[in-house]
Amino acid sequence: MDAPQPPKITDEDLIAYLDGELEDAACRWIEKLLMTDPAIRRRLQELERTWELLEKLDEPVADDRLTRSTLEMVAVEAAREVQETSPLQGRRFWVRWLLVLGSLLAAAGLGVAVGWFLTDDPDRQLLEDLPLLENLDCYRQIDDFQFLKGLQERMLFQEDQSDEG
Amino acid sequence: MSPLISKSSARRHAMVDPDVHLMLRVRDGDAEAFTELMRRYQGRVLLVLEHLVGSRDWAEDLTQEVFLRVYRARKTYTADAKFVTWLFTITNHVASNALRTKARRREVRLRGAANSSGSGRPLERFLQCSSGQIPARQLDKTEMRDIVRLAMETLNERQRMAVLLNKFEGMSYADIAQAMEMTPQAVKSLLSRARLNLRQMLIPYLETGRPPEAPPSVGAEELAS
Repeated sequence: MDAPQPPKITDEDLIAYLDGELEDAACRWIEKLLMTDPAIRRRLQELERTWELLEKLDEPVADDRLTRSTLEMVAVEAAREVQETSPLQGRRFWVRWLLVLGSLLAAAGLGVAVGWFLTDDPDRQLLEDLPLLENLDCYRQIDDFQFLKGLQERMLFQEDQSDEG
Repeated sequence: MSPLISKSSARRHAMVDPDVHLMLRVRDGDAEAFTELMRRYQGRVLLVLEHLVGSRDWAEDLTQEVFLRVYRARKTYTADAKFVTWLFTITNHVASNALRTKARRREVRLRGAANSSGSGRPLERFLQCSSGQIPARQLDKTEMRDIVRLAMETLNERQRMAVLLNKFEGMSYADIAQAMEMTPQAVKSLLSRARLNLRQMLIPYLETGRPPEAPPSVGAEELAS
């Protein structure tokens, strides 16, 4: 009975071997074949030689002009992005500033109200003294304070005020 | 993401990548970090794109497009992979879109002019011109470079991208898979076909100075898929 034939080596395997893409066991198998089979050795050498020939190709160098030009394009792109996003930023800006302004106005209103109640306002005093001032000439003609008090208790001043009103 | 690598372990790997930290600074509005990333990667992106699209001016335009996209994507950037993998995912998208657009335009231009003379394959044209003058002699540096460049042009876009990322960026199959949104096994097959195509194109020419008898197709099955 014939011994089983070992699997035939493919060019794909040889190339993967050259590229270091085979596992250790497969590498050992190929290396063993290379030791014994001159045809496989020749195939491998041809593939290797062809691969090395690619190094004859020019290697273009990117010059400063290309770098500068690319960076300029990117700068234009960046400016465009800023322009596209600026309306949104503008809206946010105004919303923020309106909120700040509203807060300031509210604080100012509160301050005025508190000030109104806490400070001595001469106008407020005048307003409170208005009934007295209106009748000041009459009061001056009467020297007796007790008499005036008696008139007030009889509500005579208030009648005058309601008549006037 | 490669099925062999979990998201959490990819994130752990990413966090030790210094360029990921630079990109996170870009995300937070650091312009200096962006300039530094450009300084580190612009030449590498340009190299891949130039060999992918075959024109310096076009490659420069696309390189700018790549970095513009990096800038635009900064706010949504998450450290899920190595920075280079993320960058070349963007590069791959930009290049694919550009080549697709170009192919559509060319299709429109060529409609009605199907019977144009001459071979459509640049390497064949090159070989037709030069093979009679090249006995089995040492090829000079420029000639060799042109032959390798033309051989690369016979690969399809995906093969070329995988080859460039593997050869010039030293990216693993798993990283290429992530950048090109494929499985690592598909990358293995893609690279294998690409390298066999290159071998078939270049080895006979190197050994005899004569063109290969039948240049392989450029992976039509992959273009169709």
